[in-house]
Formats: sequence, C-alpha cells, structure tokens
Amino acid sequence: MLKLRKLNAYYGTSHIIHDLDLDVRKGEIFCILGRNGVGKTTLLRSLLGIDTRTRGSIELDGVDISEAPTYKRAQFGIGYVPQGREIVPGLNVLENILLGCNARSDGRRDVPPLVWTLFPFLKEHLTRRGTNLSGGQQQQLAIARALATDPRVLVLDEPTEGIQPNVVADIEKAIVSLNRDHGLTVILVEQKIRFARTAAQRFVILEKGRVAAAGAAAELSNELVRKHMSL
Amino acid sequence: METFVIGLSIASILFMVALGLAIIYGTMKVINLAHGEMVMIGAYVTVLATKHLGFSLYWCLPLAFLITAAFGLVIERTVVRRLYGRLLDTLLATWGIALILQQLIRIHFGLALFGIQIEGLGSDLQNVPVPIELQQSFRFLGANIPAYRAFVFTIAVLLGAVTWWLVYRTRFGNQLRAVSVARNMAAACGINDQRVNALAFAYGSGLAGAAGVLVSGFKTVSPDMGTPYVVDAFLVVVAGGVGNLIGTFVSAGILGEVQSFVATWLNDVYGRTVLFAVVILILLFRPQGLFVIKSR
Repeated sequence: MLKLRKLNAYYGTSHIIHDLDLDVRKGEIFCILGRNGVGKTTLLRSLLGIDTRTRGSIELDGVDISEAPTYKRAQFGIGYVPQGREIVPGLNVLENILLGCNARSDGRRDVPPLVWTLFPFLKEHLTRRGTNLSGGQQQQLAIARALATDPRVLVLDEPTEGIQPNVVADIEKAIVSLNRDHGLTVILVEQKIRFARTAAQRFVILEKGRVAAAGAAAELSNELVRKHMSL
Repeated sequence: METFVIGLSIASILFMVALGLAIIYGTMKVINLAHGEMVMIGAYVTVLATKHLGFSLYWCLPLAFLITAAFGLVIERTVVRRLYGRLLDTLLATWGIALILQQLIRIHFGLALFGIQIEGLGSDLQNVPVPIELQQSFRFLGANIPAYRAFVFTIAVLLGAVTWWLVYRTRFGNQLRAVSVARNMAAACGINDQRVNALAFAYGSGLAGAAGVLVSGFKTVSPDMGTPYVVDAFLVVVAGGVGNLIGTFVSAGILGEVQSFVATWLNDVYGRTVLFAVVILILLFRPQGLFVIKSR
C-alpha cells in the first residue's frame, strides 16, 4: 500500500535518509526501530512532507505523493500522530479533534464513533483546553484527531514515550485494536522492543538513515536488538 | 470629553491598521512593511471613487476593503509566499513594495509617461468630501462630539467585532488559529495552509484599506501618508502582545488616548514623544506586551 523507492530526505543541507526502499502492506502494523538520531522521525516527516526535502518516490495506493503539499497528503489518507503530540493551544478538546476533519473527503465534520469507543474519557473533557490534559490524555487526543481525518494509514511517532505507565497500556491496546478490529494500516516508530514484538507484523531497523535489518516480527531477535539498538 | 473622543478616533484607526498587521504577523510571522501603503491605497480609492464614480464615503468602505484585499492577495501570492521563514528578507521585500506603491501613485500608474494624468493621483495632496451629516456634531454628556469621529469609532468597533467572530466562531477562524500556532500540524490535519495565509494577508490588508477610507475624511491624502501608520500600528501590536485581539484593542485605546490628550495639552510633537515613551515603558515592564496567551 505504501511504497518508498530510493527515498532521500534532507533537513536543510544535512542528508538524513539515504536511498531507502520500504514497503508497507495493507492491514499490517509496520514498526520502524532504531537508536536515537538514525532518521526515524525524519522518515515519518518526509512521508507527510513536513520541513524536509526529499528525492525519490513515495507511493500510496499507487499514487506518487512525494511532490504533494502536506495538506493534500493528509487529505489523501495519511493520519499523523507526531512526536510530542502537538495539541493545538487555544483550541478545546472537541475543536482539536475536529481539526482532523479538514482532511476528510466526504465533507463530514463530526467525531468518528470509533474515537468514543477507544477513548471514552475524551467525551467528559470536550470543552477543556486540549493543552490542559495530562500527557497521556493528550496523546490519546492526538490519536483521536488523526482518526478524525479518516485515514488509510495511521502514522505514529513514539506514541508511548514519556507517558505514565497505566496510560501506556491503554494506548497500546488502542493501537492494536485499531489494526486488528478495524483493519487500519499502522506505521509505528517505536523504541520499546516488547511492544514492537507483540503488536507489529513486520519491522525495519534503521541505522544512519539506511535499512540495517528488516523482516517479520518473529525475526526480531535479541541479537538484532543488541547489534542495532543497544547503546 | 472632546479630547477623549478625538483620542478614541485616533485609537480606532490605529486599532484597524494594527489588527490587520497582527493577523498577518500572527499567521505567517511576516512583518508587512507595505501595510501602511494599504491605508494609503484605501484613501486613494476614496479620492478616486468620490471624484470619478460619485461614490459617497460610505460605499468607499467596502470598495476600498475589496481593492486593498486584492492588493494584499497579489502581494502574498507573488512575493511574500516565496520568502516564508526569512524575516529579514520579507522586511526588505515588503518595504520595497511599499516604495513601489507610493511611486505608482505619483506617476499615475505609469500613465504619466504617456502624458495621461488621472485627476486625484500624482504627488499633490488630495481631499475627500465628507457626507454632510458627518460634518455636524452632536451634544453628548454636555460635550460637542464631531459626528465623523463617532462614525470612525463605530466602524472600528464593528470591524473589530466582525474580526472576532471570524477568528473565534467560524471554520476559517479555526483553521487560521491552528495555522498560526501549529502550522505543520494544521497542514497534517488537511488544512490548506497556503490558502489560509493568502486569505489572512488579504483580510489584514483589507482592514488597513478600510482604515484608509476613514483617515481620508480628516487628513489630507498623499502618496507617503501610509508610512507613519505602519510604525504606529507596529507599536500597538508590540505593546498589546503579539497575536492577541484584546491586547491590540486595549493598547490601541491607550496609545490613541495618550497621543490625543498630550497633543491637546501641549502639542502634536509632544504627543508623539509621550506615545513612544509609553510604549518603551510598557515594554520595559512587560516585554511580552500587555496581554499574552500562554501557549502551552
């Protein structure tokens, strides 16, 4: 469904991603692993076309979107949950969720029922400032906002980083449920090997902007982890 | 009381110009030095429309709004769009645009080269006929209030209210606010941020144009009349706290009144001097401006 060919990405003049080939299949959770600074976030940001320049092709369902502006990519079906959540200050919880509706092609402007099923607590906080929620709640709000874009593929950047442990379980459960119960394709940047092993079908490990290892989740051996991920 | 009302009308003009500047700066972090020229163009629209089309001052308001908004749109599309994220370059480029616009008025949009002169353009000073009912004054709380000053104030309040509604109560306003605080995330939510930029620039310019119509009613119109306004409006925005409607409103009020009262007691030069002093004091004690949204 998502096909990257010879993708190169740059931040200003620094070359971060080198000739990357990647295939994400429909209906899977695809996990991107690697140490800090190997280009995981940059890779996601180049999928969205945020602050990066790219060469090479990014094909989503057969359409090359590598030249499209960010908002068109969102409208085309990439739902983005960024690192640090980026809840919009000044907007309340409901407005933050509905922001995602700008990407919908059917013109609907309501919260998808799925959001209430996954994160029922959001319903009690609709009129609160989004930025007044706790970190974990903000993360769930960010996922809700991405779901409101009615995405074909959900892209999450370390969704459980820096979040209190009891909420981490909720978020992980929600991501797995989105994929298993609702058939949503998920691309996940993750540092937690345990979650990658249980949730993902396939993985890739990046090193210095290149693929160091890739395969099915079962092949994510301790040896690979030691070699490419331990400090 | 009279002084207060004059101050109120100065404040009204300041508010409208500053509001446009603040919207443009808030949305795309561009300081538009050609903003004062939008005031000037608004005034010239009034001169031309009253002279050649027989428009009354009232109808010049929407007309000037549309024309300056169109100017703003073109400036954004052709120049500013290419310079996002480069503050110094946009300063220079918009200043250049300001100079070009002033000279275009002086040379009758180039027609002077062919010996064609349009009455109302050129380097001369122009005056605008004010509708008779606005030349009167009325008594209010025992004071003589010039009707025109009250009119200016009403329009400013009206446009302020419309702007507030637009920003806080419409879908476009939601998009505008999202783009101004989190551009990338807004785009990732499917908001066409380029379109929001262009419309915000056009709207901000339109506000300045409408202010220009009102200015033309009590000041002579000349090609370089816009320059002081961009300075004053910038002071208002900075003193009020960047990106804040209420802050712009209050600080325009304070600065307008300060200028008016000091100018009445002493003279205009002192009025300006004290105005600058007040801004410096505000910034000394509240470097973020009077009102700031804590954006976290």
